[in-house]
Amino acid sequence: MHPFLGFGLGLRSSHFEEIITTKPDIDWFEIISENYMVEGGKPWYYLEKIRADYPIVMHGVSMSIGSVEPLNLQYLDKLKQLAHKVEPKWISDHLCFTSVGGINSHDLLPMPYTQEALTHLSARITQVQEYLGREMIFENVSSYLTYKESQMPEWIFLAELSKSTGCKFLMDVNNVYVSARNHDFDPMEYLNAIPHTSIAQIHLAGHQDFGTHVIDTHDEDVPNPVWDLFRQYATSLGPTSTMIERDGNIPPLSSLLNELSYAKSLVGDIWFNEQGNIKHG
Amino acid sequence: MNKVILSMANLANIQQQFMDLLQNKPNDLIKHIAKQGELKASERLSIYQNAYTIRLTGVLEQDHEQLGKYLGDTLFDKMVAGYLKCYPSQNTSLREYGDNLPVFLSKTPPFKQHVILADIAFFERLLLKAFDAKEAETLTSQILESLKETDWPLLVLNLHPSVHLISFETSAVESFQALKNDKTPPSANTNKIRHWLIWRTPDKRTEYRSIDQEEFILLNLIKEKKNFSALCQSLTKAHKPETIAPLLINYINVWLSQGLLIKHT
Repeated sequence: MHPFLGFGLGLRSSHFEEIITTKPDIDWFEIISENYMVEGGKPWYYLEKIRADYPIVMHGVSMSIGSVEPLNLQYLDKLKQLAHKVEPKWISDHLCFTSVGGINSHDLLPMPYTQEALTHLSARITQVQEYLGREMIFENVSSYLTYKESQMPEWIFLAELSKSTGCKFLMDVNNVYVSARNHDFDPMEYLNAIPHTSIAQIHLAGHQDFGTHVIDTHDEDVPNPVWDLFRQYATSLGPTSTMIERDGNIPPLSSLLNELSYAKSLVGDIWFNEQGNIKHG
Repeated sequence: MNKVILSMANLANIQQQFMDLLQNKPNDLIKHIAKQGELKASERLSIYQNAYTIRLTGVLEQDHEQLGKYLGDTLFDKMVAGYLKCYPSQNTSLREYGDNLPVFLSKTPPFKQHVILADIAFFERLLLKAFDAKEAETLTSQILESLKETDWPLLVLNLHPSVHLISFETSAVESFQALKNDKTPPSANTNKIRHWLIWRTPDKRTEYRSIDQEEFILLNLIKEKKNFSALCQSLTKAHKPETIAPLLINYINVWLSQGLLIKHT
């Protein structure tokens, strides 16, 4: 259902000009939906040119799917209009809440992993997908706390959500690593618990390690523990659209291309045969 | 059914407590946080509180760089703290987060005593609005040249959606410009009104220039959808009748070259 797009990058404004002039060897780009919810200007000018040459997927940060307040239909309308213009391969957002009482935190706040939250999220995901008239993909978020109310680990919560809604996931391997360090669990137990058939996309990113805890900053190169986790996961996962997501301290495009090449080399023998074609079965 | 309603109330309570925590309002979220490892619950909550403040502060710093220089670090931090408290974000996009900053500065002491602060903030917001404005196909001289002579009196010109016209009694724009070039800003009060035109050029650059009273009136008349005759009429007091049409054509040629005029929508 979700094709293997290859290896992509998060599209960032500082790389716009270089991308349209050099047309680098990148299989696809992911845009931040909210950055294009404007009427015109430079971002649109460049996006129109870039999407003529590359497949695009949309990634949002403000749907607030887990919030108990009513769905923000104004936001969903904008998302729908954007999708109509961009024609993305798919649209994703995060499994979290971002707004309460009309106030936006602009942060990806964690849900308690309770049966009731599961019921709530299942209903909201169905509602959003019906409103948009298309399937959504949801990303796991990093977290720094566990609610006393939680009745199950996050990975069981996600597996149950997949069972009840059939929804697909964008697995951020860095986020799994960050949460595993902050909550002291085995990241592979997390990754293996979620049906591999429900994984539509992978994010790879960096973080800041403070010893006692790790903060998900997405402003560093992908570190070795995340690469290791990705390779281990890839062994059982099979070919899945994978990208480097850099949100801050944006390096030159060449640096991200090197990271992307490294990602390919890590899974090359696992996902592809000697002719470079996808291995099946 | 009761169980579900009760649980939703719990979920709602946690979410409200979380938002109160971020906004430094009284809350008891800490009671909901499990003890884990070396990091205390309070330290875990601080990670979210810090991220909230840093993220919104970063937006205001980025959108209002020259205002930040004008105020200096201490006053800018005071402004940010006050603004975050008065205006939590009500938008899904951070682009609009600072939209209320000019109002905040014009109403809140000690900032309100210095009108130039709200003016600089407003000018910086207009630059951002011009940057994101809707696309529109620019009008060309060929189209105007193809008009019949009888079409001209009723001709209604259209401004590009990125065009903003603004007047300041302070040296807001001159100060913005000086600070951008790392120079000392001039005195805040100019004792005269200055008019400014802000727009986005066809090659997507955000531009601004000072305009005189005459051009300001003409552009405002175009904004009000007044026709060519009305534009000519506005020039009759200051100019001889035979010079009015050529003068207006001259203005139009400048506006065309700068991408200020668009085809009929």
